[in-house]
Amino acid sequence: MVVLAIGLILVGIFFLVVAAIGTIRLPDVFSRSHAVSLTDSLGAICVLAGLALYQGFGINMLKILVVLVLLMLLNPVIAHATVRAAYRAGLKPQTEEDQ
Amino acid sequence: MKSSFPKQFVANTLALFCGWLVLSGKYDNFHLVLGFTASCGVAWLNTGFPHSPFQQFPWGRMVLYCPWLFLRIVESSLHLTKLILNPSLPIKPRLITYRSQLKHRGAIVVLGNSVTLTPGTITVEINGNTFLVHAIDESAGNDFTTGRMERKLAWVFQEDTNL
Repeated sequence: MVVLAIGLILVGIFFLVVAAIGTIRLPDVFSRSHAVSLTDSLGAICVLAGLALYQGFGINMLKILVVLVLLMLLNPVIAHATVRAAYRAGLKPQTEEDQ
Repeated sequence: MKSSFPKQFVANTLALFCGWLVLSGKYDNFHLVLGFTASCGVAWLNTGFPHSPFQQFPWGRMVLYCPWLFLRIVESSLHLTKLILNPSLPIKPRLITYRSQLKHRGAIVVLGNSVTLTPGTITVEINGNTFLVHAIDESAGNDFTTGRMERKLAWVFQEDTNL
């Protein structure tokens, strides 16, 4: 159980690192936000699932699941708000023709 | 609205009290009574709000939609990871304008949220039922442009669309 938990947390950390690399490598706000959404999805899911397994069944596991559900509901809203603000401020996403 | 008041009140109280039970973790009489009183109070203050789209929200079918969305998220996460770690960074960003046929406001919210939650696509703007979506490459936006995600949601909300 503990081994599985640690494995999941490590996989989650791998995706968090990839998201950080992506945030640096990608060219503009719009594509960078994709990299950030990688953190919300697989990164957070794996790390929190690992933590839940590590805690074992009980009230703490339920609490972690509540955090996970809230994260899945709130993170898209934040990402959407950021990107919409960028779009309304007049930033145009880079497309193939610009490169 | 007036007739549904007690039902709504009881449902809200129970939902809030479940939340209290999970988050407090203390099951002695004092904390249970305190939580129940607080749930009743908050539920009482919040019933009688105008009709919200989430009152006829299909929770049951929504639960069936979640595993599918989860699989899509895992797939597109792996795809995006490959893109980022590829030294030549083969991205082809594009903006997609898409007019959805969904009518239920809840369905449009869930569609926008699902698109943003899936790595590689992000909802930039929603106007009525017209979506402006930013996709990172050709295959990332496919679920959306082919209407695959929309068909699933049409089923969840039992809407008649000729998709």
